[in-house]
Amino acid sequence: MNKKTWPKSNADACIRCTTCMAVCPVSRVTPKFPGPKQAGPAAARFRRPGEPSADDWIDLCIGCHLCDMVCSSGVNVSELNLIAKAKYLDEKGRPFRDWLLTHSYLWGQLGSFFSPLINLLFKNPVIKWMGEVILKIDRRRELPGYEFLTFRQWFNRKPTKGNPKIAYFYGCYTNTNEVDVGKATVQVLEANGFEVTLPPQRCCGIAMLGNGDFKGAKKMARYNIPSLLNTIHSGSKIVFSSTSCGHMIKHQYSHLLSIPSAEEVAQHLFDVFEFLRNLKESNSLNTHFKELSLKAAYFTPCHLRALGMGIPALEILRLIPGLQIDQIEADCCGMGGTFGFKKEKYEISEEIGKDLKEAIDRLNPEMILTDCEGCRIQIRHLTGLKVLHPIQILRDALQNDG
Amino acid sequence: MRYDLIIIGMGLSGLMAAKTAAGEGKKVLIVGKGMGALCLLSNTIDVLGQFPKIIRMRDNLFQWIKDHPQHPYSKVGLEKIEEALNSFLSLFPPPYSFQTVDHMNCLIPTGAGTLRPTYFIPITMVEGTSLNEGKALIVGLKGFKDFYAHYVADQLKCRGVNVSLSDLLHGEITTTYLGRLMEKNSFIKNIGREIKKQLNGENLIGFPALLGVHDPIQVKNNLEEIIGAKVFEIPTLPPSIPGMRIFNRFKEWLIQKGVTFLLGYPVSKVTLKGKKCEGIEVSHPPVTTSYSADRYILASGRFMGGGLEGTAEKIFEPIFHLPIPQPQSRGGWFEKKFFTVSPHRIHRVGILTNNAFQPIDERGGLILENVWVAGSILAHHHFIDEKSREGIEITTGYWATKKAME
Ligand code: SF4
Ligand code: SF4
Repeated sequence: MNKKTWPKSNADACIRCTTCMAVCPVSRVTPKFPGPKQAGPAAARFRRPGEPSADDWIDLCIGCHLCDMVCSSGVNVSELNLIAKAKYLDEKGRPFRDWLLTHSYLWGQLGSFFSPLINLLFKNPVIKWMGEVILKIDRRRELPGYEFLTFRQWFNRKPTKGNPKIAYFYGCYTNTNEVDVGKATVQVLEANGFEVTLPPQRCCGIAMLGNGDFKGAKKMARYNIPSLLNTIHSGSKIVFSSTSCGHMIKHQYSHLLSIPSAEEVAQHLFDVFEFLRNLKESNSLNTHFKELSLKAAYFTPCHLRALGMGIPALEILRLIPGLQIDQIEADCCGMGGTFGFKKEKYEISEEIGKDLKEAIDRLNPEMILTDCEGCRIQIRHLTGLKVLHPIQILRDALQNDG
Repeated sequence: MRYDLIIIGMGLSGLMAAKTAAGEGKKVLIVGKGMGALCLLSNTIDVLGQFPKIIRMRDNLFQWIKDHPQHPYSKVGLEKIEEALNSFLSLFPPPYSFQTVDHMNCLIPTGAGTLRPTYFIPITMVEGTSLNEGKALIVGLKGFKDFYAHYVADQLKCRGVNVSLSDLLHGEITTTYLGRLMEKNSFIKNIGREIKKQLNGENLIGFPALLGVHDPIQVKNNLEEIIGAKVFEIPTLPPSIPGMRIFNRFKEWLIQKGVTFLLGYPVSKVTLKGKKCEGIEVSHPPVTTSYSADRYILASGRFMGGGLEGTAEKIFEPIFHLPIPQPQSRGGWFEKKFFTVSPHRIHRVGILTNNAFQPIDERGGLILENVWVAGSILAHHHFIDEKSREGIEITTGYWATKKAME
């Protein structure tokens, strides 16, 4: 079976070899989930469109794609799970909580504007307790705070410079919660001589898709694709800094959501470090780095693995003098986007995270670097360490001329 | 992206090729459609298991090479076989190291209760090689269906027990779940005490190969301290935790050395010009990425990993379309009986190479100048029968790469 031509369900390609069972982070920490071989291809053979869903554990698949990566027979296990999950949740009904968690883009602007108040409320134990009781959002989680000035607002106040143009898909979280990631991306691209533009964009919809809401995700995709297509037609490539948004647009829009022209967009869409690695390959990367004496550890997000490009951030960061960077030997942080916020899943999320924490403890770094916001939230929660996007460190290393 | 060497296949031979090239400072890309069979089949390192226990492996190999001039081992040669095996061993410094029993094949008990000849074994399995009747207690876990203690024990003429623990009361339990629990001190304490209660004169414990992924020696020591008896691992049904330890170690080492590690997507196309490969394409729908290198290693495995494919009429190699000499028709693929003394012919087909592991046609003509072939996809071996899988993968992965870099 060729992964090139994945049909919607190719359960019969499974030879039941169990390779996927070696890597699934969820079945490693709980017997409640039977693992990819059973949850995906084996159960898919018994699922019929008209019949009610029988597997209530299907909702426990975190959607990490690790099973897809290791399967030599080309079974799209996580996709089979997602389709089954969507059907199960359609039948069972989705809690209001899931709607809240997947539509945060709706109040991101508001959240920013009222951030001083909201951030206080988010830390308030009574609010957190209510969140747990009423909404089933686990109170042990810190809710991510909003920043007063959004990334887009910052960008619009900034003078433009450089040539040629490069477009940037920053994603919701960068816009309202981790503005410095956006700033750093822009600054690094400008330091390499590019003029950054921000095409009109909305949430990529990955949280909805992960919660089995195909309709909601498609709505997002139908807004983003025409806008990104315009950008491409004007002759510009697009980079993203969030590997989750990037994977969603590049690989899920076309295949899973069948959005017209998504394939064309995918050809011109790059992870920011993949883009920088290409510059390095053509000897045009700005490598005037200052020395950073720092012992950091890098974690590979699942969606970065699934992007199938190696680990470009690691390759670029290794060029910075003085920076000691180790790769963390662990798969999946356990956050799974919105998964880890849910009360009924918090424990699984934390158990997966514990394995990651142990791997981090073995390295004993001063700081953690990782490209995905979900991983950053989780690692901060687990370790209390400073956790940044690798682009922020690269920006720091480039700030020596000015 | 341009590399010095691109390796196609992420099984043991591909990993070994990557290690060999990266060890010499080359810029390497390794691409695998899937994870290869390490985590399924490999617990120990077979070299030539079909030989009796009492002869030193070096002498086995010497004789074997003399008798089988076309075999991959004969192309590598005795001296380089040892060099390759040492290179593999160097990845596993103590505490979790591999060793032989007096440089000869040894017999280890398996999850089927049989004794299986093999050569290098992880230190966690050593005590299992000196199993005397009645000496060992074989321990299984209730709810874990991939290891039947009584079945194994019966055949080994030992006693078997199934311990049940409150941590394991939920239905079905998987290998990785148990392997992870074994790394928790509280769990080890509980299970250690349970096992201790069951002892009846035995001073050795046979336990399924689940003593943790990260630090099996620590787990073994802790368990032994609580029980007061030596513990050894017995390979189970797949997935194999000892195989995962091997894979993880390679992966960690290779990424540390700067190897680009591309797992999960198949090579969809190769570009050839004359007798040279100019580039490969890796397909990741809807995107295809091109990579090129000076040299290429094909280590894509056999039927299970997709290195060889079969239709109703013929067997072919799907990436470079290298010729596969094979029986005239499907009728010649198999012997009349499934269990036969002589191996089925289909298991012998593979890629023909010269002594440098470059692909050749049946008349000996070189097909591609910058491609080398390694691992089980090669012709003229029968690793199932010879019990030589890992040995062939390690030595050809190593030597084909050395040749490629000359
Ligand atoms: S899904 Fe793939 S890896 Fe998992 S058992 Fe089936 S064939 Fe093997
Ligand atoms: S996507 Fe991840 S969590 Fe889901 S079955 Fe596959 S490996 Fe397990």
